[in-house]
Amino acid sequence: MVFSTVLTSVPNLYLTRKPKNIHIQIRCLSSPSVSISSQSNLTQFDLKAYWATLYAEITQKLEEAIPVKYPDQIYEAMRYSVLAKGAKRAPPVMCVAAYEIFGDNRLAAFPTACALEMVHAASLIHDDLPCMDDALERRGQPSNHKVFGDDMAILAGDALFPLGFHHIVMHTPPELVPESRLLRVIAEIARTVGSSGMAAGQFLDLKGGNTVDFIQEKKYGAMGECSAVCGGLLAGAKDDEIERLRRYGRAVGVLYEVVNDVLLSKSTEKEGTEGQEKKGKGYVRLYGIEKSMEIMEELRSKAKNELDGFEKYGDCVAPLYSFIDYAINRGFNVSDLSQ
Amino acid sequence: MDNDDFRRGKPTNHKVFGKDIVVLAGDALLAFGFEHLAISTVGVKPGRIVRAIGELAKSIGAEGLVAGLVVDINSEGLTDVGLDHLEFIHVHKTAALLEAVVVLGAILEVGRDEDVERLRKFARYIGILFQVVDDILDVTKSSKELRKTAGKDLFADKVTYPKLIGIEKSKEFAEKLRSDSLELLQVFDSEKAAPLIALANCIAYKQN
Repeated sequence: MVFSTVLTSVPNLYLTRKPKNIHIQIRCLSSPSVSISSQSNLTQFDLKAYWATLYAEITQKLEEAIPVKYPDQIYEAMRYSVLAKGAKRAPPVMCVAAYEIFGDNRLAAFPTACALEMVHAASLIHDDLPCMDDALERRGQPSNHKVFGDDMAILAGDALFPLGFHHIVMHTPPELVPESRLLRVIAEIARTVGSSGMAAGQFLDLKGGNTVDFIQEKKYGAMGECSAVCGGLLAGAKDDEIERLRRYGRAVGVLYEVVNDVLLSKSTEKEGTEGQEKKGKGYVRLYGIEKSMEIMEELRSKAKNELDGFEKYGDCVAPLYSFIDYAINRGFNVSDLSQ
Repeated sequence: MDNDDFRRGKPTNHKVFGKDIVVLAGDALLAFGFEHLAISTVGVKPGRIVRAIGELAKSIGAEGLVAGLVVDINSEGLTDVGLDHLEFIHVHKTAALLEAVVVLGAILEVGRDEDVERLRKFARYIGILFQVVDDILDVTKSSKELRKTAGKDLFADKVTYPKLIGIEKSKEFAEKLRSDSLELLQVFDSEKAAPLIALANCIAYKQN
């Protein structure tokens, strides 16, 4: 799933010039950034600081959203996955970043951002089940079903999906987001999870019979797309802007996964280990490293072009640009942000 | 979970499509339910639809359906389970969703809060009633008549009303639930409430 793999060692890719960490002032954000540096023309948003702040806020809200009560076990199982230290919180951060292009009060976005993380966690729990991907580990810890058993893991996922919707309804201030818009957000998330989105992707991944591109888009692009779109919807962006965010989010989501694929294959190449069965349908396996890197550049360029359409919003778009760079360069380890 | 071979007169979904697909099918159906509610409801103010979504979400999650399933699973094989415990299971496993759908109807049609709560209570009673009757039938009927596997509760050593209080007392309890639920509907126009009255009786007197 998009943003779901934590890489502890990150070999350099050198696809593009490595960006400098120049801080620029973001006038449209509600939380402060730092002062302008006059030196270079190459401005680069401090994604690490932005992500770290949001990481802390979202994690705290998630913690409060899932208190333990009777029957304790289900809440423990839900918390185990949602509050995993290895979680990157990419969907919520993407949602808030997209919101902040158009909106000026991130309180409007937080409940949806949290819901996206719950839904993301739910789909990972189910994907990892023995009857599906049969994964032993997730986010740097044993998979949910390994700790709580298959039944509890299935139910934890089943509980997290509706909790996301409930959380949005109960916590989104109606004075900040009109209910008609909230319905569009809910519909968007529901579509992403369902038979035309992630479930479709996972189904095809399990059963084969379709191109890797389709699978990647459905499985990995879906969450990126959904997060960006929800952010825009919450802030009242226009329809053509929403569609632009959709294409951007999808491209970044897939880009992230292609880069993961390339990095993983480069690192196993280095260590001389066997190829992984799991990546059987991955880009590298099907297209080879060189072609995969070309695809990476195409996706990077596509994502960037979509954002260029938001030129009139100036610096507010900086976080979304920096996601593209991060997908490729991985300038910092997101798991460090939880320290 | 229950490892059932039959449901609604047919082989269970996982028997036909496999365990992996069935998890995805469940996820997709759950999601589609919300999508459908959000975009296909016409003639209702958005605020009411949002409230309905919240209500439905709560009823199927860890405070509703899932809670019932968890406690039910954890109760298998236990011998010292009391009526309160059993009622918790059925209020959450069966009644919660029934409550939600009844309440949703009231919310979407601009019902007064006290009427919404009255209907919620009605649904809770018939939800428990459904389970009591189900438990009785599991003991008294064959698989063919039930269209699902009979005797499962005994086989699985699950706690049921007949096991706790006996068949006769279970039947008395069922009758009390039926009459209490109908009493709640008396404030409403009897013609308009007719479907719900019929539903309560249908559940009470069902044979499978």
